[in-house]
Amino acid sequence: MKSVRGDLMLGVLILLSVAAVPALFILAAGKSPVAAYGALIGYTLATFNGFAEVVVHAIPLTLIGLGVAVAFRGGIFNIGGDGQLIVGAIASVAVAPWLGRMPVPLGLLCFLVVGFAGGGALGALVGWLRARFGANEIIVTIMLNYVALQLLTWVIRGPLQEPMRIFPQSFAIPATVELPVLVANSRIHAGLIVAVVATLVLFVVFRHTAYGFRLSVIGENRSVAPFAGINDRRTIVQTMLISGGLAGLAGAVEIAGIHHKLQDDFAGGYGLAAIAVALMARLNPLAVPFTALLFGVFYVGAGALQRDAGIPFPIVWIIEGTVIFAFLAYDALMHRATAPR
Amino acid sequence: MVEGRPVPSYAGRPLLELVGIGKSFGRTAANRDVHLDVWPGEILGILGENGAGKSTLMNIIAGLLSPDVGKILLNGETVRFSSPRDAAAAGIGMVHQHFKLIGSLTVAENIALGDARWGRGMLRLTSLRKEVGALAATLGVAVDFDRRVDDLTVGEQQRVEILRALSRRPRLLILDEPTAVLTQDERLGLFRLIADLAERRMAVIIISHKLEDILENCRRVVVMRQGSVVDRAHLAGRNRADLVRMVVGEDLPAVVGSPERAVAAAPLITVENLTVRRANGTLAVDGASFALLSNEVLGVCGVDGNGQSELIQALTGMVQPASGRVHYHLQGVRDGWQDAAMLRRLGLCHIPEDRHRHAILADLPLTANYLMTHLGRREFNWRGWLRRRAVHDRVAAAISAFEVRAPGPHARMAELSGGNQQKFVLAREFACAPRIIVAAHPTRGLDVRTIAFVRRQLMRMRAEGAGILLLSADLQEIWEMADRVAVMAAGRIRGPVAVSETTLQDVGHWMTAR
Repeated sequence: MKSVRGDLMLGVLILLSVAAVPALFILAAGKSPVAAYGALIGYTLATFNGFAEVVVHAIPLTLIGLGVAVAFRGGIFNIGGDGQLIVGAIASVAVAPWLGRMPVPLGLLCFLVVGFAGGGALGALVGWLRARFGANEIIVTIMLNYVALQLLTWVIRGPLQEPMRIFPQSFAIPATVELPVLVANSRIHAGLIVAVVATLVLFVVFRHTAYGFRLSVIGENRSVAPFAGINDRRTIVQTMLISGGLAGLAGAVEIAGIHHKLQDDFAGGYGLAAIAVALMARLNPLAVPFTALLFGVFYVGAGALQRDAGIPFPIVWIIEGTVIFAFLAYDALMHRATAPR
Repeated sequence: MVEGRPVPSYAGRPLLELVGIGKSFGRTAANRDVHLDVWPGEILGILGENGAGKSTLMNIIAGLLSPDVGKILLNGETVRFSSPRDAAAAGIGMVHQHFKLIGSLTVAENIALGDARWGRGMLRLTSLRKEVGALAATLGVAVDFDRRVDDLTVGEQQRVEILRALSRRPRLLILDEPTAVLTQDERLGLFRLIADLAERRMAVIIISHKLEDILENCRRVVVMRQGSVVDRAHLAGRNRADLVRMVVGEDLPAVVGSPERAVAAAPLITVENLTVRRANGTLAVDGASFALLSNEVLGVCGVDGNGQSELIQALTGMVQPASGRVHYHLQGVRDGWQDAAMLRRLGLCHIPEDRHRHAILADLPLTANYLMTHLGRREFNWRGWLRRRAVHDRVAAAISAFEVRAPGPHARMAELSGGNQQKFVLAREFACAPRIIVAAHPTRGLDVRTIAFVRRQLMRMRAEGAGILLLSADLQEIWEMADRVAVMAAGRIRGPVAVSETTLQDVGHWMTAR
C-alpha cells in the first residue's frame, strides 16, 4: 500500500507550487506576494462583503457546473454554457411582462422554468444535431455561443429594448418575478436556494434513477448501448436538454436575482469556468457547489487584488490556471498510484 | 512427437531469468515467488487458468508493471524496467491478447508509433516500409502498409502486432493468447512463423489456454495456479490429459454430449431472406433463411468476416436489417424491428463475441454491469427509480450460483479475470430465463475448466427447452455441442444440416467456398 504520508507530502507539495508559481509573477510585477495573497484571501474569505460576493458568483457557477457535469457524465462535451445561459435569460425576460401579473411565487417560478426551457431548447438542438447527423457538439456549442451573444446584442437594441429606446438594455422585469435578497446588506439572493435544490435533485437523479444510470452507462462505454438496448440518441438529446436547461436556469436566476434586466455584459463568462468547476468536482453534483465557491474566490479576488494591493488583476487568472494545473497533476499522480492492472 | 520443433541449446546461461518475482494488487497476490528461465531459441509454453497470474507475469517482463519483490536477469545481468520502452530497448517484445493498435491509423503508422527510429517529429515512413517490408518478406508475411487497421481482420491485425514487435529486433517475444481469435489456417501460419523465429535463436514465450498450442509447438511448459508456478515439465511424451491434470490439478468432468431430444422441437426464430449491411454500406448478410428450433444447439461457423457477426447483431436487435424478416416465436412479440432491451424482455439473451466492447463496463461495479441489461425489469426499476438493494441481492446470488470469483457485488468488473467476467456475463444473461440464447464464441480465451462450465450451462439451458444459436470458430466445439450446423461464407448461409449427417471436411470445405 502507498503510504498516507506520501499522499500528504504530495498534497503539501502541490499547495506550495500553487502558491509559488503566481508569486513569481507577482514579484515580476514588483509587488509583494504576501500582501497579494493577504488581499486575495483576506477579502474573499474573511470579510462579510467579500464572502457574500463569492457566494453570489458561486450561484451561477454551480448551476452551469451542474449542467456541465450532467453532459460530461454521458460523455458529451457541452462547452455552450454561456450561450445557453444567454438564451435562457432572453426567453424568461421576453415573457416576464405577462408573468408579472401572476401571484407572487408562481410568476417567479414560471420565470425560472422558462429560463430552463430556453437554455434546454438550445441544448436539445445540439443533442439532436449530434444524434441525427453526428455533429460534433464541441464545435456546435462554441459556435452557438456566438449566435446567442449576437442574439442578445440584437434583442436589447430591438424587440426587448427599454421603453425609452435610448440605452442598449431591456426593460426591467416586474418586481414580482425578482428573486428576493436572502441575506441583508448583501447581494446574496434566493437563487442560492435554487442552486442548492438543483444540486440535491441532480444527486438523486444520478444515484437513484434509471435515467441517471443510462447516462453513466453510455458515458462509460457508448458501444454497450445497442447491446443493452439503451436508446443512446434519445439519452443524448435528454441530457443536452437538462445540461442546457441548467445553464438557462442560471441565466434566469442572474436576471431575477441581480441584474433585473438584460444588458450586454450580464453573462459574465461563467461558461468556461463552469467546465473547470465540474471537472474539479469530478462530476459529483455534491462537490460542485464547493468548487464553484473556489472559483467565486477567483472572480471576487481579482477586484480585491487590484484595489487593495495595487496588483494587476490578471494575476488572479494566473493563480486560477495554476490551481487547475495543480489539480490535474494531483489527479494524474493519484491515478497513476492506484492504476488498475 | 512433432517434427521440426527447434531444439534450443540449454548450455551456457538462459536469456532471461526470473528470480522470486512477487506482485500484489491491494490484498490479492497476483504473483508469488515465481522462478522462470527462458533460453535462446526456445519456445516456452505457459499454461494456467484465467486469473492464474500469467498476464501479470508477462507484463512484468515486458516492463508494464514492476515487481514488488524479486529480480529479472537478462543474460545474467540484473535489469529493471520502468516502462515498456525500456524492455523493448533491452530486446523484449510483447503481443498482447487485446491488441494495442490504433484503428484509425494505417499499418505503417501503427508500426512507427512510439519507435524513435522512424523519426520523432516527421515520420520516415519510406525507410520504415523498406526495412520492415524486408523483414516481412524474409518471414514470408504479406503486409499492406497503407491499409487502415480498422479494415483488417483480426488475424491480419495480429500479424501487424507481431511485425511491430519484430521490427524492434527483440531477443524475446511474448505472445499472450495468440490463437484465441485465429482460424485454423491462420493458427498454423502463426506457428510456422514462430518456429522460424526460434530457429533464428529468438526465444518465444506463448501463453495459451489451448492445450494443443502448447503440446504441438513447445518444448517445455510452465504451469501456473493462483499466482505461483506449480509445475514445469518437458513436453516430450506428454498428452492432452496430462496437461489438463497439470493445469486443473484433477480430472475434469466429461463434457456433456448431445442426448436425443426428448421433446418435439418447435421453431423459436424464423429468418426469411434476411439482408444486413455494414455501417459502410457493404453487404454483410446476403439473403439468409433458416429457423432456430427449441431444444437445440444450432452451430454457426465460418471464417471471421463472412457475415456471422452481422447476422447475430441483427438477430439480437443491435442493428436493423436492410431487408427480410425475422420472426421470434415468443409470447407478447410485436411485428417489426425490436431493440435488444425489448427482445430480452421477451426471452432472448445474447452473449456477444466482443465482451469488452459490448457486454461489460470495465470501470463500473458488478451491480451496474448486471443492471445494464435488466433495466426494464420492474424488480429493479420502479417507474424510473432504481432499487439498488434488489440489484445488489440478485448480483450476490448470481455470483455464488455461477461460481464467479469476485470480491463482492461492488467489485469493479476490471478486477475480475477474463474467465470470471465471462461467467458473470452468462449469469446475467441467463437471469431472465431465456427461451433463445445467442452465444458468440462463448468460450474464446477461457481456460479448460471455465470452458467446461460454460458448455455445461449452455447444455443445461438446451435441456430445459431453450434454442441456442452458437457461433464458434472452433469446429471441435460445434461438433461436441451442436445438433445442427450452418456455415456462413461471403454473407451467404449454407445449411443448417444435422451434425450427424455431415463431416468436418464438408464444413471446412463450405467455409472456404466462395
